[in-house]
Amino acid sequence: MPKFTRRRLLAGAAPLVAVPVLGKLAFDGNADAASRTLQTHANDHAAHGHAAMIGDSAPAVGGPNDLDALLYPPPALPYEPGRVREYTLRATDQEIEIAPGVFFPAWTYNGTVPGPVIRATEDDLLRVHFVNAGSHPHTIHFHGIHPANMDGVFEVVEPGGELTYEFPAKPAGMHLYHCHATPLKKHIHKGLYGAFIIDPKVPRAPAQELVMVMNGFDTDGDGGNNFYTVNGRSFYYARYPIRVRRSEKVRLYLANLTEFDLVNSLHLHGDFFRHQPTGTGDHWEYTDTVMQCQGQRGVIEIDFANTGLFMFHAHQSEFAELGWMGFFDVVD
Amino acid sequence: MEANVARRGELSWRLWALVPVVLLALAVGGYVASGASLAGLIGTNPPQADEFDIRRVEFKPGEIRIRVTNPQQDDLTIASVTVDDAIVPFLLDGPGTLGRLRSSTVVVPFDWVADDPIAVGVTSSTGIETVEEIPAAVETPGVTAGAFLGYGIIGFLVGVLPVALGLLWLPSLRRVEQRWLTAFMALTAGLLAFLGVEALFEAFEFQAVVPGAFGGPGLVLLGLAASFLTMTFVSGRFSGSSGGVIGGAALALLVAIGIGLHNFGEGLAIGTSFAFGQLTLGSFLIVGFMVHNVTEGLGIAAPAADGGVSLSKARLAALVAIAGVPTILGAWLGGFVANDVLAALFFGAAAGAAFEVVAEVVRYVGRRDPAGLRSAYAVGGFLSGIAIMYATGLLAG
Repeated sequence: MPKFTRRRLLAGAAPLVAVPVLGKLAFDGNADAASRTLQTHANDHAAHGHAAMIGDSAPAVGGPNDLDALLYPPPALPYEPGRVREYTLRATDQEIEIAPGVFFPAWTYNGTVPGPVIRATEDDLLRVHFVNAGSHPHTIHFHGIHPANMDGVFEVVEPGGELTYEFPAKPAGMHLYHCHATPLKKHIHKGLYGAFIIDPKVPRAPAQELVMVMNGFDTDGDGGNNFYTVNGRSFYYARYPIRVRRSEKVRLYLANLTEFDLVNSLHLHGDFFRHQPTGTGDHWEYTDTVMQCQGQRGVIEIDFANTGLFMFHAHQSEFAELGWMGFFDVVD
Repeated sequence: MEANVARRGELSWRLWALVPVVLLALAVGGYVASGASLAGLIGTNPPQADEFDIRRVEFKPGEIRIRVTNPQQDDLTIASVTVDDAIVPFLLDGPGTLGRLRSSTVVVPFDWVADDPIAVGVTSSTGIETVEEIPAAVETPGVTAGAFLGYGIIGFLVGVLPVALGLLWLPSLRRVEQRWLTAFMALTAGLLAFLGVEALFEAFEFQAVVPGAFGGPGLVLLGLAASFLTMTFVSGRFSGSSGGVIGGAALALLVAIGIGLHNFGEGLAIGTSFAFGQLTLGSFLIVGFMVHNVTEGLGIAAPAADGGVSLSKARLAALVAIAGVPTILGAWLGGFVANDVLAALFFGAAAGAAFEVVAEVVRYVGRRDPAGLRSAYAVGGFLSGIAIMYATGLLAG
């Protein structure tokens, strides 16, 4: 758009030399601008306010059950000595739709960002077959306790290559896995990560279990995220609120795999919850907001006091308004 | 018989002239039909930038309207829209997928805050976000009678009135000595040379932000050459029998046209800046332009005084109108429809007109008073014209 440049202003002010009194007018002019009152336009917020984006007004991709495989983890199995848990992860180059009409050339495990939830009970023998069907070298680096050669740092799998990771699952907690090939930032923000749950030998109380992996997408490659999501689609749970029963505890496994931004967070409206950092130990915090650094995670348990629609979102307002916002639909 | 052969020879010569055109068409057709195979051969085909050209951002009560154009070869799809880094629901007044140089208007229902800076972003389906930052959100005036009148008054105050006042120096100028008149003529040339350089740089500044598809620096040259050559042609018609040099009333008319084109650009810039909240509609600016443009009236008066012909009031009024009224037209255009492409073109035209008139004035002084061109009066007058503009600019900065 045409702008009024300094040079034009100078040319316009040229006669000031002949008429010095105009200098005073210049100050008056500025004062006029400064004293103008701050006015907002009274509008119906409900019509277009961001906070009210719910249901069909929320710009999210896809149908109501598209992300069920990521939201609902495979069930916890009771401890059983000597059990083997097998998973297969395929790294692929795949374009995914993260917001309506916005496509991101992702690197995925099994076609989704985040990748599938991997779950085992403590001391299960975990056997993960990794196939690199992508166009770049990749690995899988699991958080947890395992031998050095199962760490996914030195054993880089070239395109077309395969590797089986095998180690006993421990410690119990909410962990994660991600590619550790270099450049690390690129390999993570392209989408190679997922949630990794290890259940304690003494099972947790029954609950409605959910998994949320917080992330962001830098679609224009400027080193900053353009979209934020949980489980890969911005505003998805605003469009399709997560239905839970008030009568039963909600257990939420939460991880932060956001690149570029140092921290991400979850804030729940209308209630409080207990938060167990990393899903380990005896320390529980009673709060309505948790903050996680890159790679941090935890277990959240909510006993909803009321029914109705309760929003949850990053308490970084920017992230919330760029897609990291959703609702619980609490019913009796 | 011989005539026939000659005619046939001429015919075949004309036909032969078509051969390159036909062959070119075939070659182009062949290349296009081959698709992207050439890029395949070379082995590189960088992706398109996928950036939109945001032409205009308008603020209406409870609504932001963003005019976007696709400046690139490939189609561009509007997928997501942000305001201040927040995704917002939007409607489209036009297609969602834009072919080359096609435009659409994004309508965002939004509770914007008056006078605050604001940034709007349009994201393509490939995730590339084009952001336009607006220094202050101010309601964009609609094409109402009030706004029309307002811009008209601004144009009148900064364009028509000062030129008319400057022309009132005409009787005084008629009485000064020839060498002093030469000095004033040279001053006129100096002022115009300064304005020409200003306009040229202004034009390049606008051109720099215009996407490549709408033309590079050649866009400025187009405006400049068009106005320069049009003015040359017009002055040629004026001079007719007088051997290519014009003076007096005709030269005054040319100066008026040159100043008029410049004032059109000035009006355009003022109108746009007000429309988009880049300027406070303060008395400082208006008064500044008024005083400044009085010198333009002087510029017209100097050659008119030299003609020895007395000009009727109607002709004087016509000169004022030619030099001043374009400011009003420019303010209207800037306030309601302007964009970078038009601005670059018009400022180029303003520069071309200014330079042409400088050339005419110099030619006239040289013809009228051959020794005068090298006199201290001419040299001093020309330099004074430039120096006054420059020095006052420094002081104001």
